[in-house]
Amino acid sequence: MIEAKELRKSYNRVEAVKGVSFSVERGQVVGLLGPNGAGKTTIMKILTGYHFPSEGSALIDGIDVTEDPVAIKRKIGYLPESAPLYPDQSPAEYLDFVADARGLDGSERKAAIDRAVAACSLGPVINKQVEELSKGYRQRLGLAQAILHDPDILILDEPTTGLDPNQILEIRSLIRELGKEKTVILSTHILQEVEAVCSKVLILNEGRIAAQGTAEEIGEALKGESRVAFRLRGRARGTGAGAERAAKAEPTTADIEAALGRLPSMGALRSIKAAHGSAFDVEIALQPGIAESDPGALVFDWAVSEGLVLLELVPHKLSLEEIFVKLTTEGGRE
Amino acid sequence: MKGFLPVFRREFRSAFGSPIAYVLIVVFLVFTSAWLYFVAGFYAVGFADLSSWFGMMPVVLAFVVPALTMRSWAEEARLGTGELLLTLPFAEFALVLGKFLAAFAIVAIAVLLTIPVPFMASLLGSFDAGVLAGQYLGVLLVAAAATAIGQWVSSKARNQVSAFLGSTLLLLILVLVDRLASYLGTTGTLADLFNWLSLARHFAGFGRGVLDSRDLAYYLAATFFFLYLTSWTLGRRKWS
Repeated sequence: MIEAKELRKSYNRVEAVKGVSFSVERGQVVGLLGPNGAGKTTIMKILTGYHFPSEGSALIDGIDVTEDPVAIKRKIGYLPESAPLYPDQSPAEYLDFVADARGLDGSERKAAIDRAVAACSLGPVINKQVEELSKGYRQRLGLAQAILHDPDILILDEPTTGLDPNQILEIRSLIRELGKEKTVILSTHILQEVEAVCSKVLILNEGRIAAQGTAEEIGEALKGESRVAFRLRGRARGTGAGAERAAKAEPTTADIEAALGRLPSMGALRSIKAAHGSAFDVEIALQPGIAESDPGALVFDWAVSEGLVLLELVPHKLSLEEIFVKLTTEGGRE
Repeated sequence: MKGFLPVFRREFRSAFGSPIAYVLIVVFLVFTSAWLYFVAGFYAVGFADLSSWFGMMPVVLAFVVPALTMRSWAEEARLGTGELLLTLPFAEFALVLGKFLAAFAIVAIAVLLTIPVPFMASLLGSFDAGVLAGQYLGVLLVAAAATAIGQWVSSKARNQVSAFLGSTLLLLILVLVDRLASYLGTTGTLADLFNWLSLARHFAGFGRGVLDSRDLAYYLAATFFFLYLTSWTLGRRKWS
């Protein structure tokens, strides 16, 4: 449905996008993720026909964006980085203008506006002036504008910026809902957003794709980074009497280290930290392969045999956040 | 090309939804009437000739039109709404045409609201309706060209102030360039060029009520040239 081939774009000799290729299938929700200046916005501007690529091509339904921009623009709903609103209008007037421009008339126009207003919960402010609206309402009005003509493709540049947590959840569920029928490309620097709504992720760094795939696939590509973290303390006073290798009620770091020496080998010890309540936090980086063979069970059995109480046990997969940091700060490519 | 209509409607409503259009119309009417009374000394001259009054119209328009057109594209760029307009399914020229027609309509309303002036004056003597019609046609043609020029400057400007100063300067040069030529004593092709470029020189005929197809063509060509130039400016940004 959307295909980008070796896209390049320079602004005043600064290359913002340096050869990006990807494809998006109908019904996918694709997240563009990357630090500021990674080229997310530029890619979106190219896909909407607002900017033309310096090199390479972008096809939407097989149509090159530079050859028939008007046809492309008809298929797309676009929310730019800052919602493009006229301060002297009310949301009702604004949506009426956009509906007019999108060629919606009469009852069709009314139905489209009602639908967009309901989807973006704009009812309470519909007749206020845009300049009086909060950032959250402005953003939602921008989104209402983008979905007004029920486009096949939605391109949303940071759709949840400036929203409060409740509104973010609302907009995300709206995007998920829209993603059932439409193709959505959104950019964000919020990682949970990608994990929450996107079926595919493109991680961009300095104008290039650093990684792409589903969130799991990207995690898979960077294996060997699974960890297990757990919290321990000595057996509570008075209850440990029967234990053969009687653990102290208040073990020291050295005691824990000694005990860890008897833990079946599963990886490298990352850290031992004393936590409050005479507990200890231990983190172990797992060897490749061990993650599949229940390291949690090994830790549990070991703790019991050592007479230690396991308070918490958290298996850590490399989160998208960590992958993101890894890919975009070490300058590393996969 | 049908895309110009929604843009026209929005612009026109927006201008009348704010004080801008009203202020502009009132300023134009007060200034032109005052000119007639105080400067041209019409009532003192005592005979029915409005040609000097029409003759100063291009100069007035060189100040009034930029006040209206300075916002057009510079403000869209500042608000980020240009990105909305340019991702609507229209060719750039349709957007340019919509904005032009809305601004021109407002200037035309201001110009046509001066019609009571010659009517009142006609109490002092008889006017030729044909001459008057020709004079008004001339003013409207100057206004159209000035609007197209003002919006082009606005599409190049970074903000409203520079758009206003830039287009006022450009319009004043275009209005006064023929006088400059005679002042400098230029002759030959250069003088011809200056005269040909002048917004005021081509207006002179209309001011006397003489319709010359070359003058008509000059204004229409100037208007379309600058509309096209604006649309080219907007289109070229895609490649920048």
